[in-house]
Amino acid sequence: MVNSVRNAPESALKTEEEVRDLEKLVVQLQGLHTEISILAKKTPNDGLNLFKLKLVNSILTKGNSILVGHYKPLESFTNFDESALPTNSDVTMVLALYIEQAERFRSNNMIYHDFKWWYLVKGAASQIEGRPPTMIGTERK
Amino acid sequence: MALFRPRLTDHYGILVPQADLDFAIPFLDEDIPLYADPFLLWRSPSQQDQALHTSLLNAFNHLGYLCASGQDAQAVTTLIAASECDEVGLGSSANRQGKRIGEAKAREILDLFKRIPQYNRAGFRHFEEIQFFVDGISKDRISDFTCSFLKSFLIDFTLQQCEQLRIPTSPADIPRLYNSRKNLFEEARGIQLPLNPRSRNPLIFVPKRWLRFVPWISYDDYFEKYCPQDEISHKPEELTRVAVLNYNRDHYGVIETYVKTKERTFEDCHNDPLFAQIPITSAKRKFSAIKNLPTGKDDGADKQYEDLIGQLLPSLLYPQLDFAQEQARTDSGVTIRDLIFYNTASTPFLKDIFDTYGSRQITMEMKNVAAIERQHVDQLNRYLADELGRFGLFITRHPLNRAEFTRTIDLWSGQRKAIVTITDTDIAQMVELFESKQRNPIDVVIKKYGEFRAKCP
Repeated sequence: MVNSVRNAPESALKTEEEVRDLEKLVVQLQGLHTEISILAKKTPNDGLNLFKLKLVNSILTKGNSILVGHYKPLESFTNFDESALPTNSDVTMVLALYIEQAERFRSNNMIYHDFKWWYLVKGAASQIEGRPPTMIGTERK
Repeated sequence: MALFRPRLTDHYGILVPQADLDFAIPFLDEDIPLYADPFLLWRSPSQQDQALHTSLLNAFNHLGYLCASGQDAQAVTTLIAASECDEVGLGSSANRQGKRIGEAKAREILDLFKRIPQYNRAGFRHFEEIQFFVDGISKDRISDFTCSFLKSFLIDFTLQQCEQLRIPTSPADIPRLYNSRKNLFEEARGIQLPLNPRSRNPLIFVPKRWLRFVPWISYDDYFEKYCPQDEISHKPEELTRVAVLNYNRDHYGVIETYVKTKERTFEDCHNDPLFAQIPITSAKRKFSAIKNLPTGKDDGADKQYEDLIGQLLPSLLYPQLDFAQEQARTDSGVTIRDLIFYNTASTPFLKDIFDTYGSRQITMEMKNVAAIERQHVDQLNRYLADELGRFGLFITRHPLNRAEFTRTIDLWSGQRKAIVTITDTDIAQMVELFESKQRNPIDVVIKKYGEFRAKCP
């Protein structure tokens, strides 16, 4: 079975370096989401401190450069304004949306071959093996 | 319109918060409500402070030498001269003027050198012990003696601070400056010191590390915890201050034990800050009380709301904003209560407010109403004058309705005046930030200002 990248050719992975960047982004987004969710459960309306906010913004900036076109998580959002005092729950929600789109992008750039899942680079199977996709098209599997 | 409760630094436009300075900023019209405690010099780890304490004791014990050598008149003159130090402005006077002790009181103090053998033989180790023997001597007098005998050092300290902060100085005459070589007070002329811009009297700064509300060795503490009250009198009505003082004179051992105990626990003795924030639990309790208050004036709800906000906000906004005072004014027959803060311009936001709106002080008008109405906006608008600046805040219960919000936007468009509204929701977030320490509570004000400016044309 092949997951076609024809749906979003402009945002397909072009090099193996981009695959590594995507994998790193997914892990970083999930890590931040896990940590900030703990804070958000305790004090949803508390402000995130500037150190954490800067980290979140730097990872969102990286996400914005990878998730383009159909995969852009939010049309009118790029990153958090420090002076707008985003709360824990604000940040958790945005991170969740980025995680969803990163996973959709990843899932749509994988190919099943020889009983394993491989990343697609320039539309062809690469030598980088990945975990099975969980979201093909817009549906979670 | 003049500044409220002006301080020297505000007068010269030096925008530094009190928390960042080594000395207590003098008020122009009133005293700083703290006292110099000589014990803080004794317990200080700094060699300089310890040496100053020694020098202070030498000066005081020299009075005993003068008495012993028959120069009582000189000792009385010196002690009277040392009994007030107007230049430092510590204490509770409302006009920065104090009164010296009289000759009789001075003789009573000097008599201790003869009356109590330990003082006669070895002098004082802590001269604040005179409180335990002489009526009418308390923390303010101890503070004045300390500052008078150390005035020369304090003048140097003041000059150093003035140079650092670029506070202007002028030649001034100091009528009584202690000369520790001659052991007497002399007049000093043409000393460079900052002047009180209103009275033109010289000002001397005192290091914050010397200041306490109550001296560590104090009569009240002694009377409450260490004084053998039963020995003095079994009848409470006869347990007067004078009776205790008389008892002390004949039982120096009790005082010595008390002072030794205080020396032993010196590590607990710290200087008092000029402003102390309320604890987090107290802030949360105050906010929940605010939440449960109805709007309006029934059962004095408006007064309670103003009191609670008045206790909460100075702590939430410290140290970025120094609290000046709560003041009441009347506009069209209505009493309005405001909180006034000194704008220290210590953050980019506050600097921006200072530059854009000329706010040397920031006014917050408290309104416990269901909805801010047209006349409320007009009242605050009239109040935002040149000296106070064109930036003000409503502290109220609910967001402004569309018409009044538009009115504030129009004020910005027409007169470049900014009126920002802080509601219960914002106060809740400020209290949350105060507890979590993740961001500064003042960031909520910055956020609200950002939201306000985003709506401006």
